[in-house]
Amino acid sequence: MSSTAITLEEFVNQLDELRDEAVAAFGGSESLETLDEARIEFLGAKKGKLKSLQKNMGALPGENKKDAGLKLNSVKKEIQAAFDSAKSRLGDGGGDSQRDPKIDPTIPGHRFHLGKLHPITQTIEELKDIMGRLGFTPAEGPEIEDEYHNFVALNIPKSHPARDPLDNFYLSVAQSQAEQDSTLSDNPLLMRTQTSTVQIRVMETRKPPVRIISLGRVYRPDTADPTHYPMFHQIEGLMVDENVTLADLKTVLKLFATSYLGDEVPIRIRPSFFPFTEPSVEADYFWRGKWVEFGGAGVVDPNVLRSVGYDPDRVSGFAFGLGIERLCMIRHQITDIRYLFTNDVRFLRQF
Amino acid sequence: MIVSWDWLKEYVSLSMDHDHLVDRLTMSGLNHEGTEPIGEDQAIDLEVTSNRADCLGHLGVAREIAALYDLDLKIPDPQPTTIAESVTDHCSVEIESPETCFRYTARLIRGVKIGPSPQWMQKRLKSLGIGIVNNVVDATNYVMFECGQPLHAFDFAKLSEGKIVVRSASQGEQFEAIDHHKYLLEPGMCVISDGKVPVAIGGVMGGADSEVSEETVDVLIEAAYFDQLSVRQTARKLKLHSPSSFRFERDIDSANLDWASRRCCEFILEMAGGELLEGVVDVGQAPEPPPILTLRFHQLSRILGIEIPTEQVGPILKKLGLSVKAEDQNQITVAAPTWRKDLTREVDLIEEVGRIYGFDKIPDDVNVPMTASYRLPSNRVIDKIRAVMTSAGYDESMTPSLVPEKWSNAFSPWSDKEPLTSSQPMLGVLEEYSKNIGAVNLLRRSLVPSMIETRRINEYRANLDANLFETARVYLTKGENEIPVQPLKLAFISGQDFYQVKGVLETIVQNVAPEVELTIHPCKFDILDPSLSAEIRVGDQVLGWIGTISKSGKKLFGLKNDATVVEIDFGILESKAVLIPKHKNLSTFPAVSRDFNFIVENKVHWQDLQSTVQKAAGDLLESVRYLETFRDEKKDGAGKKRLLLSVVLRSSEETLTGQQADEVSKAIIDQCKASHSAALVG
Repeated sequence: MSSTAITLEEFVNQLDELRDEAVAAFGGSESLETLDEARIEFLGAKKGKLKSLQKNMGALPGENKKDAGLKLNSVKKEIQAAFDSAKSRLGDGGGDSQRDPKIDPTIPGHRFHLGKLHPITQTIEELKDIMGRLGFTPAEGPEIEDEYHNFVALNIPKSHPARDPLDNFYLSVAQSQAEQDSTLSDNPLLMRTQTSTVQIRVMETRKPPVRIISLGRVYRPDTADPTHYPMFHQIEGLMVDENVTLADLKTVLKLFATSYLGDEVPIRIRPSFFPFTEPSVEADYFWRGKWVEFGGAGVVDPNVLRSVGYDPDRVSGFAFGLGIERLCMIRHQITDIRYLFTNDVRFLRQF
Repeated sequence: MIVSWDWLKEYVSLSMDHDHLVDRLTMSGLNHEGTEPIGEDQAIDLEVTSNRADCLGHLGVAREIAALYDLDLKIPDPQPTTIAESVTDHCSVEIESPETCFRYTARLIRGVKIGPSPQWMQKRLKSLGIGIVNNVVDATNYVMFECGQPLHAFDFAKLSEGKIVVRSASQGEQFEAIDHHKYLLEPGMCVISDGKVPVAIGGVMGGADSEVSEETVDVLIEAAYFDQLSVRQTARKLKLHSPSSFRFERDIDSANLDWASRRCCEFILEMAGGELLEGVVDVGQAPEPPPILTLRFHQLSRILGIEIPTEQVGPILKKLGLSVKAEDQNQITVAAPTWRKDLTREVDLIEEVGRIYGFDKIPDDVNVPMTASYRLPSNRVIDKIRAVMTSAGYDESMTPSLVPEKWSNAFSPWSDKEPLTSSQPMLGVLEEYSKNIGAVNLLRRSLVPSMIETRRINEYRANLDANLFETARVYLTKGENEIPVQPLKLAFISGQDFYQVKGVLETIVQNVAPEVELTIHPCKFDILDPSLSAEIRVGDQVLGWIGTISKSGKKLFGLKNDATVVEIDFGILESKAVLIPKHKNLSTFPAVSRDFNFIVENKVHWQDLQSTVQKAAGDLLESVRYLETFRDEKKDGAGKKRLLLSVVLRSSEETLTGQQADEVSKAIIDQCKASHSAALVG
């Protein structure tokens, strides 16, 4: 072992020279074979030039050893980096020789079929999620309703076209038609035509403040065609408290639309008519160059508040309702509502 | 409602441009649906909500425009010239059915000359898409589209007794309308008769016999007020909808009957000549005086969320036709006009002021207070179920809640009570396959028939790998006079074999309610294979059923391939759900595993053997696992099988010795022998 004393400066120069030499050699290699030869020459674990140079450290004065070590490490890294980049330049991998030619990693992996949630469910979850962030808690209620909750409490008078028997699924038990008629005729049962019934049921049992969304299946006897189905889904929001105004409604709808569309959109409200809200409005959002109907909304009608025992001079509220199928169909560009309920798996697996 | 730009100009000056106008109308409640140029005119289509019957005439729309742009509204004041002879000497009106007709007015014009109406009137009617008939009929239509009051002109000579009797139709009465179709009437429908036969269906359509024709000389002009509900029901039953029925259904302004009648007569005199008899036959109720309403100004900001200057409130209401009775700094008291029956309360006035002032001035960036929201436990459980189902490769279906009788009868495990029947069937929901399956009018008592249908439709469409699941309600009647219950169920169906499907069910239960031990019990349903079917219980509660569809079940539902179906109750599962699992310390001592191979009778079920093993092994048992069933008739004899199982033992306190494990093994072997005559192999 050489023990000729050297200075730190000499050692550093030797390292720099070696680095330049190695970088040039790796950079000049034109095949993985020549690169590997160069690697052994400079980085070989036993007889590599770097290894040999490292041994010179022993000949340095004790106080220089720490600085020398730091320099050595940094040069080592530089050389290694030069090697790595040359290697990736020449074709990556650890060398063809190690590959088993019988193995074809491009063959498809073993996939498994992941089932899909129905697009309506996905839309509902998305809307629930957005409304949840705005402080609205989901509420559920029965699909079979009585006339009181479906109409009367919602300020829909007997003369209103919505109460026409032909426009509702009224219910009876086949076996005891006569008894049913006699006992329930003052408040007959029907499949709910809107999820606002849930709002009534919630308000009947809870004092303000109320901030809920009700959602689920609703029923109207339209013959199924590309835009109608006798069963569909609604989501309705309700907020009642002291001093809830149309401005709060507009703000919430704006936040809702912005969240749903993923971009800030202008919204507008324009007067409309629903028996359970006054003022009633239609809300539109401006999307891709035109106004798109969002849904119906309004300030909860004082008659509705009175019917659940709230004082309309003390509290006020807003409600809005959206058709899930419509939103879902626009979102996924579905052209016929019946596809949603045919349950062809080729359809369901698209979403 | 289509309005003509040219026509509107008669009542209000239209100096604004078209686009600005329709935008303001949209923003104040008359949604613009489109505009078509008709010659030099423009036909503007506006959507009129059902509470705004006043806008079903040009005058109503013009009034809105006048209010929006603060313009003057010019309303014609018809004063037709009359002769001295009184109408009451020549005709009479009786209302026999005051529940369908509240008021009836008639005027009589003698000696008209029927011919075409003038060009200007024809042009305006054509802009609206209304057919041109003759000067008398066109005048009635024109006035209807002017003010919203439907009118009818009878050929007076065809009214056999020269009188009008308004009554309810008699059973089986026939009527030929102007459209020359015959209609069968029924009691409750309002007919206008001449004392003998019907000459019109009140508010719906006139009759062919009494219509104004070339030969008509004298005409009776009807302006009446028919009940909205009655007109709607009649029009609907007869499938006979007209611009007249459309307006009566939305309620008309009964205070305007006389104006409309005079206006119409004025046009007829002008265009067809003749002489108008003095006076009017006016029978029935006088219109109710309009309500007096008070608007407290502070309520405006409380409901609308904006401050509207109080000095603007009065002028807005006046422009809309309300008359101010009193006003101070806090409130304004007004009378609603007769044509605005939707204005009955303070809040209705708030809407009026708000919409004319402009909903666009309401901000959309106010501070809505933050509040916490919650996820329902049921939602969390459903999410867990969905995660298992989708991971297992099941797609989610959505099927109608109503089913045909055949399906309803085929499978109803949750209730033996009759299903609820709907007054209306669902139409078009099972079209492709089941045209002859009968009405879809029963509320389903089980999801299983619907799930089988989802398999069938996929089979039919050559999707042979359809695994589907659904969570939905079923509808069960209870005792008399009780509201039916509507429990949520989970059902799924697959073409995989019984044990694979059962594995999915077990995975759901394990994932949602890990503490629950399911037990399997026999069940009997025609549509399920008697061997490969079972009732599943949790303790003494029935969680649901699993079964492979039997041959007869497949036939009943038109299924070709095997399928296994499951239906379980969501509520029971939810009640046992562990939503927040608690950590248990892991034992640091090694486990000892022992395998057993028992020969038992075929009738010994795994479930029972497992339970014996569990009891025998005691506290040291960590798990017992089924491995395999194997039969070797030569070695073991007929009617026997081998059950292979593996037991893992572990203590939380010490390393088990071989001797301890052997003792447990011996207990297992002894107990299985005692309880099941199980013989250990080897």
